[in-house]
This record gives sequence, C-alpha cells and structure tokens, in this order.
Amino acid sequence: MAKSTIYAGLEIGTHKICVVVGEAKRDGAIKILGVGQAPSRGVRKGEIVDFEKVQTCVNDALVRAEDRSDVMIRNVFLGVTGAHIESLNNRGRHRLPDEQTEISEDDVEEAKEIARSVSIPQSNVFLHSVTRQYIVDGQEAVRQPIGREGRVLEADYHIIHGVRGRVQNAIRCVREIPLEVEDVVFNPVAAAQVVLTREAKMQGALMIDFGAGTCDYVLYEDGMITASGCVPLGGDHITNDVSMALQIPNGRAERLKVEEGSVLYDEVPDGEMLSIEDDTGLILGEIERAFLNEVMNLRTKEILIQVRVRVEDHLGRLGAGIYLTGGVSMMKGIDVVAREVFGIKVTRAGSAPVSGITATFENPQYSAPIGLIRYAQILDSEKPFLSPLKRLGRRMQELLSSVTL
Amino acid sequence: MVEYDRSQSPEGASTAAPRICIVGIGGAGSNVVDRITLDRIVDATLVCAHTDVRVLGHSMAPVKIQLGAELMKGIGAGGDPDLGREAALFSREQIRQAIENHDIIFISAGLGGGTGSGAAPVIAEIAKNTGALVLVVATMPFSFEGRRRLAQAEEALELLQKRADALVLFENNRMGELILPKDGIQKAFNQADQLIAQSLRAISTITTTPGLVKLGLDDLTSALANANGRCLFGFGEARGQNRGTEALKKALKSPLIDSGRLLHQTKNLLVHVAGGESLTLVEVEGVMKQLGRHVPDQTHILFGLGVDAKLGDAIAVTLISSLGLNQLNAHATAAPPSEMLQPRAEAPAPAPAPKREIPVKKASSPYAPPADSPPDLLFKSDEFAPAPSIGEAFPLNNFHQEVEKVQLMEQPLAHVEEPPAFVESPAFAESPAFVEPPPPPVIAATPETVRIPVRTPAAKELADAARSSKESTLAAVVARSVTLQTEAAPAQDDLISFDEEPESTMISATTAVIARKPATDNQQTFSLGEEDRGRFKDTEPSIVQGEDLDVPTWMRLKKKLRR
Repeated sequence: MAKSTIYAGLEIGTHKICVVVGEAKRDGAIKILGVGQAPSRGVRKGEIVDFEKVQTCVNDALVRAEDRSDVMIRNVFLGVTGAHIESLNNRGRHRLPDEQTEISEDDVEEAKEIARSVSIPQSNVFLHSVTRQYIVDGQEAVRQPIGREGRVLEADYHIIHGVRGRVQNAIRCVREIPLEVEDVVFNPVAAAQVVLTREAKMQGALMIDFGAGTCDYVLYEDGMITASGCVPLGGDHITNDVSMALQIPNGRAERLKVEEGSVLYDEVPDGEMLSIEDDTGLILGEIERAFLNEVMNLRTKEILIQVRVRVEDHLGRLGAGIYLTGGVSMMKGIDVVAREVFGIKVTRAGSAPVSGITATFENPQYSAPIGLIRYAQILDSEKPFLSPLKRLGRRMQELLSSVTL
Repeated sequence: MVEYDRSQSPEGASTAAPRICIVGIGGAGSNVVDRITLDRIVDATLVCAHTDVRVLGHSMAPVKIQLGAELMKGIGAGGDPDLGREAALFSREQIRQAIENHDIIFISAGLGGGTGSGAAPVIAEIAKNTGALVLVVATMPFSFEGRRRLAQAEEALELLQKRADALVLFENNRMGELILPKDGIQKAFNQADQLIAQSLRAISTITTTPGLVKLGLDDLTSALANANGRCLFGFGEARGQNRGTEALKKALKSPLIDSGRLLHQTKNLLVHVAGGESLTLVEVEGVMKQLGRHVPDQTHILFGLGVDAKLGDAIAVTLISSLGLNQLNAHATAAPPSEMLQPRAEAPAPAPAPKREIPVKKASSPYAPPADSPPDLLFKSDEFAPAPSIGEAFPLNNFHQEVEKVQLMEQPLAHVEEPPAFVESPAFAESPAFVEPPPPPVIAATPETVRIPVRTPAAKELADAARSSKESTLAAVVARSVTLQTEAAPAQDDLISFDEEPESTMISATTAVIARKPATDNQQTFSLGEEDRGRFKDTEPSIVQGEDLDVPTWMRLKKKLRR
C-alpha cells in the first residue's frame, strides 16, 4: 500500500463550491495540497436547483484545485445536505440461541442487521449507518462484543437517510462533469471529524455548521454520534431578511451583512447611522445600525432555536458545549446569541488537525470540505470500525448507479 | 362501550356459533361485502346498504337495503353525509329487520363519502340497540381525495367511536403507498377490499371459534385500544416444512405492518396462531420467538392458540394491533425514535387504562363486556386532563397577580381580553368556587385570547428580559413569539379539554388530534403571499408549526403583533 493517499472532497454549497485536495499520511496526518473555490450559482438551501450553472461552477472550482495541487482529480467524496436528510437511532436486539453463551461474529451481524432494518420511507436511501455502541445483557458502551459471554446482544445504530432522488441528483450532476463519486457524505458528519476533537466528542458536543443555505448539526454524546440533521435555514435567510427590511438588493444586503452586520444590538448607541452606497459609490440613504442588527439578530436567533428544538433532549449532557462552524459562524456576536439560545459554552471553530495551506483550514468556511478528506481517511484506515459504513456507502452507490444507468 | 346483554338474544348463548351479520355501507362497504360473498369466507348474514340503486343492483350480497328510497329516489348521496344520514334514518325499520337477531354485527364502510360517513353511524346505533356487539371496520379516505372528505370522515369517525364496541380503522393512504407502486388502480382497490375482508374473517374466527388459548373480543379491543389509532393487521397461512416461519413471514409482509417495522411501537399486539391437529408446541414456540424480535419487550402480547381441523396441515398466523395516526405518519416519514413521539400519542390516548382491567374479566366469557371501562376512562381523563391544568394555569394565589400583570401589559395585548373577565377578577381571587368558571368566558372568546392569561406572565418576563431600554416593537414581539412557541402546544390541550362536557371528555380526548388539525391548516392558509418570501420564492417552503420560515422573521412577528 502506498505511503499516503490523496483524496479530493467536493462540497456544493449554497454560497460557494469548494474542492479540497488532501494527502492523508499513514500516520493519520492530513496535508492539504490545494483548494479550489468558486462562487456557487443554482443552489438553494443546500440543494441543486440548476444543473448547468452548478456544473459550470464545479468545473471552475475543480480546475483551480487541480492547478494548485497539481493533482488530477478523478474521484471525489461528495458532501451533501438538504432539508430532506434525517436521522434516527435504532437498537437491534438479538437473543443468542439457548445453547450458546459466547457472542460470535454471526450474532453481531444479526444484531446489526436487525438494527439497520428500520423503516424509512420507500423513497429514501441510507446515507450512513454508524454503530454507536453494543449492549451486552444491558451493559452499555461495549465496543467489542465478540467473545464476550452474554445472552442478549443489542446494537445501537445512528442512521442517516435522505430522499433518494435528491441525493441522486447531486451525484448525477457531479458525474456529468465528469467526476466519479467515491462516496456520499452528509456534510456535518464530515465537518465534525475535523472540528470536534476526540475529547470533545467524549464529553459531548454539538457542532453546528451554519452555512449559507442550511444549518447542519451533529451531536455527540459519550463519543457516540447521537443526533444529526439539517435545518433548511441559513445565512441566505439573514441576507434576505436584511434586503427586505431595508429594501435593498440582495447583493448589497449580503455585503452589508458581512461588512457591517452584527447580531448584537443592545450595545449599539441609539441613532448610530450607516450609509448605504449603491454600486457606483453614491450614497443611497442611511439606516440605523441598531435596526440592521436587530433584523439579523431575530433571524439568527430563530435559526438557532430551530436547531435547539431538534436536539433539546440531549442538551443537558454536553460537556464540551457548542462548536460553531461554517461561514455564518464568522458573524459578529453570533457566539453571544448562541449562548443565549443554548445556555452552554459556545466555541467558534474551524478545522484543526491538518497541515498545509494555513489560511484555508483555519477558516470555518472550509470545515466541511476538509472534513471530507478526514472522513475519507477514517473510512480507509479504521476498517474494523467503519467497515459497515463503507459497505453501506458502496451498497448505496450500487443502488444509485443501477437506477441512473 | 356497550353492555352486551345475553338475555336479549332470544335463543340464548347456549348455541355454539354466534350469529354474525356483516353490513356493508356505501360503495367501499359494499365492495368489501361483495368480496366476502365471493370468497365465502365467513358464515354470516351479509347485508349491503347503499343509497344508490345501481350499485345495489350490482351487489352480490343476499340482503340488500336501499337507503331512503323515497328521499333519494335511488340516487347516491353525492358525497354529502347529511343526505346519507337522512336516508339511513328513513330506512330505519328496514335496517333493523335485516340486522336484528345477531350476536355480532360487523359494519364495514368507507368513510369520507356521503353514504358511508352519513349512514354508518346511524346503522351502528341501530345495531347497538338490537343488543348485538358492534364492530366497525372503516377505511379513511386517501389524502388525494381532499381535505373536505377527510374532515367528513373524521366527523363520522367521532360518531362511530361513540357507538361501536370496537373500531378497526384502515388508512387507505397506507395501503395505497405500499401496494400500489406498479399495480393497476383496480387491483389496488381489490387488494384493499381483500385485506379488509380478511381482517373481518380473522376477527370473527378468532373471537368465535373455540381455542386452546382463547382470545375474546376483550383482547381484541385492548389490542385496538389506541385512540384515533389505525389498525395494523397481518395474516399469513402456510403449509409444508417450515410452515410456522413461513406463515409468520407472510403475516409480517402485510403492507399494514410494513414487514414488522411498525410493530416496534405498538403497545398491545394480538397474536393468534391456528393450525390443524398436527400443530406442535415447538412450532408455536418458534413463531412466538421470531415474533419477539420484531416487538419491543414492553409490548403486551395477547396470545391466542386455536386448533381448527379445517386448516388441515397448514398454520395460520394473525397479527392485530393498532398504532396512533401520529406514530404511523411519523413512521412513514421516518421521523426520529418513538420516545420523541410518545407525548403526542399519549395525549389523545387515555386508552391504556382499560388494558389493565379487561384481562381480569376475560375468562368469564368471550363476550364479557368491558362494561366498567367507560366510566373509568372518563374518570381518569377527567381527572388527568383538565384538573391539573386548571391548577397550574390558574393557581389561586397567583391568579390575582396575573390579572394585574395582564392589565399592566401594553395595550395591544390587553385589548384582546374580554372585558368581563376583568370586572369579575377580584371574585376569582377570593373564592375557590370560582376556579371552575373561568373557562366559559374564555371559551366564548377566540382560542387566541384563551391562551393569553396563561402566557402573559412569561411573556412579560421575557419582554423585560429583552432589555426594556430598547422599546422597539420588535423586541416585545420576540418575547411574545418565544412564549408562543414554548407554550402553544400544552395550552391547546387544556383548551380542548375545557370546552367539552364531562361525559364527552373521552371523545374529546380522542378527537383532540382531529380537532387540532384544522387549526394548523388555518395557519397554513394564513401563510403570506408569494412576494413576501423574497429570493426563496421558487424554493420548497420550510414550514414549521404552520409558519413559513422563509418569510423574514421580522415580517412574521409584525403580522402576529397586528392580529
């Protein structure tokens, strides 16, 4: 086996399309070789609405990434998201035959099989199904049940699934470029691999990838993925709110949001005004800064509340708190608002354990695509643990390809 | 539930086989009866009742009743349940004559249409008055049939729930979803009929044929005891080497059970295993063991075993259970685990109560009427639902304070309150006797106003918290909207239990979900115009609790404030 493997991750975001090429060393280190980025067109709320535009943009990003990394990209790990993606935990329970007391591989397989056979709507496919833990005779958090004595073996699974058609659309769009899709990964699952440290996962952490189109989250408890999902609201909604409140075009609102906006409005002195310029630099009018901030605050808070509603049950057990990543996490004051909403520690984070172009990986915008590289690496290295993942990924791919062809 | 008086049936209960009558009402009902007639699966009197003479003409049932011959002139009810009811009332005598002198009367109807939803409750009532045990097997309309039909169906369902001893409800959507993909529509309908016919047969054989481990109607009702529940039914028959396993597999394959997945959430499951003389204990054990994998530990399994010579060397496995509509839908969209869904399903289901009681009595006879359960139920729900809510929402010592708070609130909120409430407010604070009265004035007002007293203290706190220095209207609104989100749901529950009479509390509890549905619908129609969504105009709306979240937050808050 080669000393290192080169992977490419592609994220088709609502704001930008990003291709990251990374080299995974055998010792587990990742080196980013190059990043290609292009502004995204034809994506709404994390899902592709205009194939051709997206393909042009992906091509742009791809060419740039190839240029910078000097790597010819054939296969990519594709990050997907969208409101249709949902998750659930399921427990498969297998009782050993009467004459047998030691748990064998077959029993584990059986338990897994039962755990995985949850009913998802017919139109859906499994994206991931991750073993959380095994339980032997009620004893929780068993990592390796084979060889143990026991009567009842249970397998806990976290299952992420999405609407087949929509996942397939993303794949098809990339295939036509043409690029081969090695695996489809739910964005926050990938991002969490680089944003959350092992320690944070053990203590319990909620990672929120606050992007332009969607707000994806993953929650870890005791080192196990417990909840994940996607709220189809994001930075675009903030921009849209601003643009409609101030009655200015979207592009202008976006710039205003990024350059001037903040979600804190109580410290802004009354009557502080902001001037709005048009494209040529002419001053169009003035607005109150507090008003702008309040509009942004209302929306941001609402989006975070939507996330909270979905993870409410687990919030009490997050020792490491909240990790905010994604483009919107750079917004001023968002950590304060997040703290207000969740009431626990909030950290803004980019990806951590990689080397290469420094500026890239510290930016929270790139958590997800870099996470894809890390995910790919984990997938290849931790075979015993992740083999079901891969197998499932393969299975899904086969399924999808049989439909597409 | 009805007292089944044995003395009323003239021949007495000593005769071995109970006399069964199956009445099919309306189009769907008559289809089912046709199917049963053709298959000759049940030894029963088959009656077909319809307003439409042409349908009756085609029907294969031996007894046909034209409902409201003078009124309708042989024309169908045209989807109007009122007409259907009138017609049935007209033909009362005829119906009575046809169905009396039976021990068990099955009524099969497709709800949603005119004859089905209109006449079925009337016929159920007549059937009940003859002293028979009344079982209703009904289908809910497909969702594509429109909201109006669904509303009619739910209305009829409510009436039926009061009159029938047991209600087996099938969700057409579910059948469509799982049978249809490529089959022709006729086949789909056929299969739906067949499934219903099968369940009718299963129920009648289970409850009437003698068995080694006997299952009675009480077991059936407790298996189906799930308010607003939909029936999960599976039947499988197999012969040959692995017949036990095969039969179970077939039963689980039933679209209504979704290869056993839906069973994960059921509380009660009725399992009946029947076989010929060759049935062995090992086989039964094997079947139950395998079934155990699909069913959580806490599920109450009602097990029945019968030896039926007619089956020869075959084994038949029947599974009957029910699942709340919420759970079912949630499962269909594969929403997260059951514990998240529990609270909602629990609210409309005071049903588990009879479950505990019935098994004690069942030994006496197959028809042992679970007579005590209704009052018991009433008492329970009565005690649980409104009482604590009154206590919590209007704690006496706080009430006065709260009223003051309300008055303190700024105008837009205060004006919604009915003035009389304030006039009397000192009195509330004074005597405990006045704790009850608050609901009436409150109910006279719109639901919006009802919730306000419950909410305002919190709203006020939040408004304060939202830094009163910034007296912008928006801040106040945020506070309000937050409380709205957190409290809307429980408040609504209280609301519904308030305005019902005590006797109908059970029904009110069961229909809570139904009643709430239109409310959310209103919310949806309220959704703002297209232009309000800005750049998200062409995208799929993100609707949460009836609100389109693509519409700017500030805009929605403004709207709420204005109302």
